[in-house]
Amino acid sequence: MVSVTIRKRPLEDAVITQRKFFKKTARGKVIKVIRERYLRDDVACGIEGCRECALPSGSTLPMNGSLDHASFPNGHFILPDTNVFLGQMDLMESPLLKSPIILLQTVLEEVRHRSLPFYNRLKALVKSDDKRSWVFYNEFRSETAVVREENETPNDRNDRGIRRGTGWYNLHLAATRPFADGSSNTPHPNVVMLTDDVANRQKAQKDNIHSLSVRQYVEGLPNSAQLLDLLSAEGSENIEPTLASGRAALYPDYLPTATLAAGVKAGQLHQGHFNANQYNYLEGSVQVEGFDKPILLVGRENMNRSVNGDIVVVEVFSKDQWKAPAEEVIDQEVATRNDDVEDSDEEGEAREVSTHEQNILQQEETARIQSERQPTGRVVGIIKRNWRAYVCHIDSTSLTSSNATSLAQQTVFATPVSRLLPRIRIRTRQAPTLIGQKILVTIDKWDNTSRYPEGHFVRALGKVESKEAEQESLLLEFDVPYRPFGKAILDCLPTEGDKWIVPPKSDISPEWRDREDLRDLLICSIDPPGCQDIDDALHARPLANGNIEAGVHIADVSHFVHSNNPMDDEAAARGTTVYLVDKRIDMLPSLLGTNLCSLRPHVERLAFSVIWELTPAAEIVNVRFTKSVIASKSAFTYEEAQIRNDDVHQQDELTQSIRLLNTLAKQLRDARMRAGALNLASPEVKIQLDSPESSDPIDVEQKEMRETNSLVEEFMLLANISVAKKIEETYPQTSVLRRHLPPPKTNFEKLQDILRKRRGMTLDVSSSGALAASLDKCNDPNEPAFNTLVRIMATRCMLSAEYFCSGSVSRETFAHYGLASPIYTHFTSPIRRYADVLVHRQLSAAISHMPLHPSLHSKTHVERVLIVVNRRHRMAQMAGRASVEFYVGLALKARAEKAQKAGVGQVTEDAFVIRTFRNGLGVFVSKLGIEGLVMFKRDVQFDAEEYTVTVPASATNAKDVKISVFDQVTVNIEVEKDKNTQRGKVKMTLIHPIDSRAL
Amino acid sequence: MATISLSKSEKAYIQSSLKASSSLRADGRRPHDYRGIALETGVAPLANGSARLNIGKTNHEQSGGTEVLAATKLEVEDIENGDGVEGGRIVCSVSCSPSAYPHVSYAALDDLQYDYTTLVQDILAHPSLHPPNLSILRGKKSWLLALDLVVLSDSGNIYDALFMAARAALWDTKVPRTRSVEYRANGSRPAGGNDMDVDQEKQSALDTRQVKTATDFELEDYWDEGEPLGGRDKWPVCITLNLFPPLYYLDAALQEEAATPLRLLLMFSFKSQAPASLQGMRLMGTDDIDLSLVSGLIKEGEKHAGELFVAINAKLKEEDIRRTEKARRRFAAVR
Repeated sequence: MVSVTIRKRPLEDAVITQRKFFKKTARGKVIKVIRERYLRDDVACGIEGCRECALPSGSTLPMNGSLDHASFPNGHFILPDTNVFLGQMDLMESPLLKSPIILLQTVLEEVRHRSLPFYNRLKALVKSDDKRSWVFYNEFRSETAVVREENETPNDRNDRGIRRGTGWYNLHLAATRPFADGSSNTPHPNVVMLTDDVANRQKAQKDNIHSLSVRQYVEGLPNSAQLLDLLSAEGSENIEPTLASGRAALYPDYLPTATLAAGVKAGQLHQGHFNANQYNYLEGSVQVEGFDKPILLVGRENMNRSVNGDIVVVEVFSKDQWKAPAEEVIDQEVATRNDDVEDSDEEGEAREVSTHEQNILQQEETARIQSERQPTGRVVGIIKRNWRAYVCHIDSTSLTSSNATSLAQQTVFATPVSRLLPRIRIRTRQAPTLIGQKILVTIDKWDNTSRYPEGHFVRALGKVESKEAEQESLLLEFDVPYRPFGKAILDCLPTEGDKWIVPPKSDISPEWRDREDLRDLLICSIDPPGCQDIDDALHARPLANGNIEAGVHIADVSHFVHSNNPMDDEAAARGTTVYLVDKRIDMLPSLLGTNLCSLRPHVERLAFSVIWELTPAAEIVNVRFTKSVIASKSAFTYEEAQIRNDDVHQQDELTQSIRLLNTLAKQLRDARMRAGALNLASPEVKIQLDSPESSDPIDVEQKEMRETNSLVEEFMLLANISVAKKIEETYPQTSVLRRHLPPPKTNFEKLQDILRKRRGMTLDVSSSGALAASLDKCNDPNEPAFNTLVRIMATRCMLSAEYFCSGSVSRETFAHYGLASPIYTHFTSPIRRYADVLVHRQLSAAISHMPLHPSLHSKTHVERVLIVVNRRHRMAQMAGRASVEFYVGLALKARAEKAQKAGVGQVTEDAFVIRTFRNGLGVFVSKLGIEGLVMFKRDVQFDAEEYTVTVPASATNAKDVKISVFDQVTVNIEVEKDKNTQRGKVKMTLIHPIDSRAL
Repeated sequence: MATISLSKSEKAYIQSSLKASSSLRADGRRPHDYRGIALETGVAPLANGSARLNIGKTNHEQSGGTEVLAATKLEVEDIENGDGVEGGRIVCSVSCSPSAYPHVSYAALDDLQYDYTTLVQDILAHPSLHPPNLSILRGKKSWLLALDLVVLSDSGNIYDALFMAARAALWDTKVPRTRSVEYRANGSRPAGGNDMDVDQEKQSALDTRQVKTATDFELEDYWDEGEPLGGRDKWPVCITLNLFPPLYYLDAALQEEAATPLRLLLMFSFKSQAPASLQGMRLMGTDDIDLSLVSGLIKEGEKHAGELFVAINAKLKEEDIRRTEKARRRFAAVR
């Protein structure tokens, strides 16, 4: 029977028994914390055969400790102090060190306090099977507990505690040896305190406690030769040395979080998202508040282990050290081709690589234009890592060739598909099988002694260029949730399934409550061909008073998707439907999206209608919002609608209403343009698929814009604006709106400069109206595509539009810059955008159809949802674009094959030069909507001020050839695979005015 | 102010015996004798400083007497948002346990508390007594020192008790040591290093650089209670002279208080090597007094206050020792 003795001390002793400490909270308050300490007499020593301590069976330390140390023939245990674990963790973790370890609670707690990563390693060490260790709770045993003396530092107190613990162990061992042969004074093993603190050793000596420095101790061990290698350099005071301690740090340490916070608060440091430069892996930038231009980070050291998307803290250098961004393309793969993955070799190689990089940077330095300096700085800390799983390829050159088929573990490089990311070093046993596959890799850590981040292999996605692997990798890369809907979500659908219909009109049916019957109206929908999720439909008819009634009818999604059920949560998390070339990832289950909510022709559907009374000049007389039941008369494609509109022989009512809508739309558009709306452009192309099944692209063509596209667009804009006004009026604090902030003027500086120098054109960016007007003037009669190009480039200079909660920003910033509307929201596509669903709920409450869910009264809730929606929206756009790019690549390949068959040999396209580099050109192929790089291997003359590259005569044996931005060139396009990583890459070479293959 | 009521004859009886040439008091004390004072510090572990004071606890039943509990709490205040004051501030409050005044109505108790609070606040929060180390970051953060006094029971002479308890608690108060954290840009140095500058010296008003840069602070030593509140010798003691002009007596019991028409409260602060300074004076009661007598009474008061001050100081120092060395020795002995 074990008797537990717990001694609670009277209040008299409070000063001694209570452990007091102060804590500073995150909000800056200081609180006093008191812990009562209960001392016991039965904390076990953990040594087998002890006569006094009750020990658990197994997992104890052997009776005589370890016998193989020269100085301790009677056996010994080691009792390391805190600094041993902080400084020599590699040694302690080494399986070669077999001595039983006694770990004091004091040490454990101190390690935790000093460094969490080390604490975790220490915990793992305690748990590991091949180590014999025992944690002794010395602070709770009455004999070993120590009390802090007056004016004693915590460090000294802990050291004293460790010494007392060691002393106690030795006494305890002497007193409690089992009677082996009857005599009580058999020699007993020693407990040795390991410490590298000389003062501590001296004090220990005074108390007759065995103590040794780590080096002294290891030297007495039989396998000392191997173990001594693991000792970290003496005198290194690094609190957090890394796995490969002893290796020189390649990157500066991060500052402590408290200092970062203090610096940011004081305005000396700046916080922002790190953006890697896709052309130059040695450069990155951080957009921060307080600077017009992003802060430039040049070189690995200044980027200091930031990965694209991390939230970092930067220090800005003094103005004389500011630099201009490099005008050069530096490809990581080319520049660091010789970099070796193996740790052991890194020393030598690394130096080589870094000198190489230094050279590159220096060369660049001289080439940088001094006038274009921008704030330059370095990363001093990371607030939040944004690491996720990245889609990568294995770099086959990093494999050790000898074991290309073996299953031995080896270290290899994984090259992420995204050019914005550094290579990741992973250790894997299946490297040979992973070559030529797309794989998913996560980054685990990036130590300051390691050139590259370290990660691990998650899973393989499949063969490179197989559709499935490409599709999945695309979805993963852009973080698109693509799993099928779960049961809980599907349970939220109407029980009737696809048999659901609008019930017959009656007063008692809940569907018909407060709903207008618009089934007789001539409503039709106009959408792209093959559209299944029709969320909008239109009608227009003349009124008796000469005005016109026009209506926009939107699928009533909020009737089916109720607040706070699993389906709603999932939709909020997905945020938007993602359209890839060959796949659509729905936000809502397809029963709703493509059937019950979709405003298909000839069926009754629930709708949310916006109905205006407009004058013939398209001025709004009044507007009303109502829930309704409609029956669309027809679903047109843009093309069909256009044909009907243009065909003078068609005079039926439906066609007339389309014409009516069209005339109104034209006027609306004119009015909008007068108000200063921008006509923006983005490189949009359409992929023609062979058939839906095979999904092999046949060709790429540019999207055609018809009048009817604009018709639908105008009415959607009108509806959105009217709805935005209404909900903002009703819920000034929480309405869901969309805005487009005016771009900072500095964004346009470069484009303005290029236009002025190359074309003598000016761009007035003082307001959106002025910009629109000056964009219209940027015309080149010889090159009709030029205007589109300028528009695309101007669009790139702008900020992206975003959803926001009306209560969270000031009213002056509500405006939508591109549309030149003071207020805007998204109302018209609730099937594919979650923001629209929220707007539907708010509007329906605003017209007293339904009470508003409490969550939509909460500003923080709305803000939280919109942050997700904004992000998803951005990701969806990028995923869509990437998907198009992939198919363009496939189409190009198909075209090249065809061309080869036809004997032409290659694919050539006209392109515009959009950027000049010191060693290359950025070109844009408008027909394919893709950007590409033309690289020169030989030296060319680069005039950064004039945006001109001159290919000297010496290289071509002809006269000098000058190429500058906006020049039209002809390029040869081929898709080639990187030999090492199998990464597909569009490669472009110049054909006209000069063949760059030789250069 | 009397919190109990006495009949006229009782009052007359007490008055006449006090005025008698060899004045007699109910408990046998001479006019200038105090009852026994019991003082203990460190009674509230979570407070930054605390004390329990009892005047007149009877030895045989360990109860009775005027008992006051005092505790101080330090809170961080933000100066920029208007909460805090440069250099810190002191807020005192006195609350009375209803059991201390069983005859007093609830509303009257509120008034009483308010009166006590005002008096204590006026005297202790006076700028001349302001401790120098309540500042954390100039212009940014400072300490709020909240002194809370609870009257647990009142058997007369509550004012002296309140100030003695306050003095003991303030004496006991330790201010956590802080140092400012700041980020000092070091321009061109490319590699990391000693970017984090922590100023070790105490903050000085002359050093203007700190004002601009330091924005936050950290605790120097999270185990340590900190340094004593600055100027702890200065905290005043209060002496109540119960007057039958020109006579007076000290430390009135509850009945005596009810029979005394006039009281003079004198608060003295003693600093080493400096003459005592009179920090405050209150005349309370219904009777009047000849002004010429007052200066003599102040002199008398100063003498008594000096004695009281010496006695308290001795006890406070003894308490410090009891709580550190003795407790440690006892701890060692138990083991």
